[in-house]
Amino acid sequence: MKMIYARPMLGGMAISAALCLSGIAAATDTETAMANPSDWASQSGSYDNHRYSTLDQINASNVKGLQVAWTMSTGVLRGHEGSPLVIGNTMYIHTPFPNNVYAINLADQTYKWKYEPKQDAQVVPVMCCDTVNRGLAYGDGKILLQQADTTLVALDAQTGKVIWSVKNGDSKLGETNTNSPHVFKDVVLTGISGGEFGVHGRMQAYDIKTGKLLWRGYSTGPDDQLLVDPAKTMTWTNGKMAPIGKDSSLKTWKGDQWKLGGGTTWGWYAFDPKLNLVYYGSGNPGTWNPSQRPGDNKWSMTIWARDLNTGIAKWVYQMTPHDEWDFDGVNEMVLADLPIKGKETPVVMHLDRNGFGYTLNRVTGELLVAEKFDPNVNWATKVDMKTGRPLVNAKYSPGTTGPDVDVKDICPAALGSKDEQPSSYDPQTKLMYVPTNHVCMTYEPFQIEYTAGQPYVGATLTMYPTPNSHGGMGNFIAWDPAEGKIVWSKPEKFSVWSGALTTAGDVAFYGTLEGYLKAVSLKDGSELWKFKTPSGIIGNVFTYVYNGKQYVGVYSGIGGWAGIGMAAGLSEGHEGLGAVGGYKDLAKYTTLGGSLFVFALPDGAGGATKTASNVQ
Amino acid sequence: MRRYAVSVMSIAILSAAAVMAARTNNAAHAADAPAAGADTAPYTVQDGTKVDGKTLDGWKTWRALACERCHGAEQEGLVGPSLVNSLKTMSKEDFHTTVINGRPEKGMPPWGGSDLMVKNWEGLYDYLKGRSDGAIKPGHLYPIGQ
Repeated sequence: MKMIYARPMLGGMAISAALCLSGIAAATDTETAMANPSDWASQSGSYDNHRYSTLDQINASNVKGLQVAWTMSTGVLRGHEGSPLVIGNTMYIHTPFPNNVYAINLADQTYKWKYEPKQDAQVVPVMCCDTVNRGLAYGDGKILLQQADTTLVALDAQTGKVIWSVKNGDSKLGETNTNSPHVFKDVVLTGISGGEFGVHGRMQAYDIKTGKLLWRGYSTGPDDQLLVDPAKTMTWTNGKMAPIGKDSSLKTWKGDQWKLGGGTTWGWYAFDPKLNLVYYGSGNPGTWNPSQRPGDNKWSMTIWARDLNTGIAKWVYQMTPHDEWDFDGVNEMVLADLPIKGKETPVVMHLDRNGFGYTLNRVTGELLVAEKFDPNVNWATKVDMKTGRPLVNAKYSPGTTGPDVDVKDICPAALGSKDEQPSSYDPQTKLMYVPTNHVCMTYEPFQIEYTAGQPYVGATLTMYPTPNSHGGMGNFIAWDPAEGKIVWSKPEKFSVWSGALTTAGDVAFYGTLEGYLKAVSLKDGSELWKFKTPSGIIGNVFTYVYNGKQYVGVYSGIGGWAGIGMAAGLSEGHEGLGAVGGYKDLAKYTTLGGSLFVFALPDGAGGATKTASNVQ
Repeated sequence: MRRYAVSVMSIAILSAAAVMAARTNNAAHAADAPAAGADTAPYTVQDGTKVDGKTLDGWKTWRALACERCHGAEQEGLVGPSLVNSLKTMSKEDFHTTVINGRPEKGMPPWGGSDLMVKNWEGLYDYLKGRSDGAIKPGHLYPIGQ
């Protein structure tokens, strides 16, 4: 695109930094844009998934003056997850199904182009009950869209014209997509959804130039489908790393159940360019009736480290063997170098649905830390650091009690101590700032038969706020991933289902289901500012600079499970279980919406002057 | 997976108790059992949780096809409408058309391809009618005589 409006361009230093990072001859345009704090070039802003910006015009002392700069309707009233991208003077926004894409000229907030795909409406029931999309990716001059119907599309970033398009799955089999594509160097990675339809979960890699499939690595099944080397792919075994051996997945399933094994891949992936390794998590095994699928069900619920070019797994770590709770392992992977027991260590950090915060050596796969990030987690007492396995509490084990028995007060609920809502990592404080759920459940599994394209669930759940706690259903916490400790925890009335952002301005931002965008202090979580948007927020906060001024934005648009489920299901019924204070329905606060909100400081309040961090 | 029915104990239990008093001891085949109002109840229920075989198969179909993901564990409505309300006005014919053909644009799957639904849709109608009437309690059901 033409850079009509002067943007802070990359200087020599930033370029060489990017080159060094990529380890090859030239930085890709994604890397160049990610190295420029004025852009928001990927869903998390960087390969390492920090969701951190070095911008500091908006900071802890002036954030209270933040005002709405402009807004835009997306035209769709469903759950709005993910965030827009900003590349140069263009913002790219996306919508839930039907997955429209709009390129917006930041100079006057007019549309440069629109892409409105025609998708078969039959895909909507398969996505039941939510039709979210977690956003676009950018690379090689293209905007990548992963449509609900499993079509992956590459659009010309300047014109919106389709350059290539590939089919990634079959919605007739219950396969859909909600994840954002991820661009790492010249490779587009995308996953699959449908863990409740008995799909065969896998990760796919496509050539960004042509859309050609480079590799496809399954979560369950024979070694050649897993893309593992039995002798070289390692896993944590009795206190050290050891090869996974032959048929590591097949041995942990009854018969050919692995074919319906789930292990879907709809979360947030990370990339280490030096190691050329991709990190992501696989989801729950199908069905939710654990008695029906004996064994560890490998490699569902697993952290994967795969080579970007070949897909071959360097190491794997299964967090929840033989899942009995739907604790999908798909949450974001976050990369950093941390002092572990006094030694600087390259790690991957992952706060799992199962309520444990994991820190592993990302080079070797060694397990370093596994601690609860919500003290109310009760399904396991702890993770045995030698075996790496959770010590399951039989009282909260639906697989032990068997089908047609209602197991009560399991914490966390199936939606996890956190779900896909991504955390932020601040490299200054070396802490993670985490949107969490604080919800428990009853779980009753039952026998289910597989029919292609139909739900393959096999459990009935009810969920409610954690008993004997603060009465709310969420917390926003600061987590020390080196020590495995909660630093502070700010209670929220509802689950915090919005991706967090931290900045060099010492502020953390997140949205709430009531519709507030909040800015809090990194030190103690104290609230510095909030603004009520029209609908609940399940999108991720992002920031960018245009014409020298810093903006912070977020989608407002509740939907699907996070919104309507809460609104309809939760009433005064559980106050008797120790909820403090009156529990009020979310429906009192909000209803469906679909808009983008962009905030800035008023001119003269520091907003118009460039600070050191955003002048390149 | 991250979307399911969220529910807690329901006020329906309370209202069910009142209605049940009028129906609990309806004998024999449900079609013969006069309901509290003008309608004829198509189900037989005891203690709110024990039902005739056809209604039980309807509930099992509800459970197996995970209808609660959209309509709520207590049929109170989530993304999909409240069936406690819908069944008060919806005809059996409309119900049949809707479950078999779906309403794809609104997210309701066409269940015509499901043997379970094709076989048990009438029992499902009976079950939901019982839920709508408040005669059948939310949650697990059992055969009469157990």
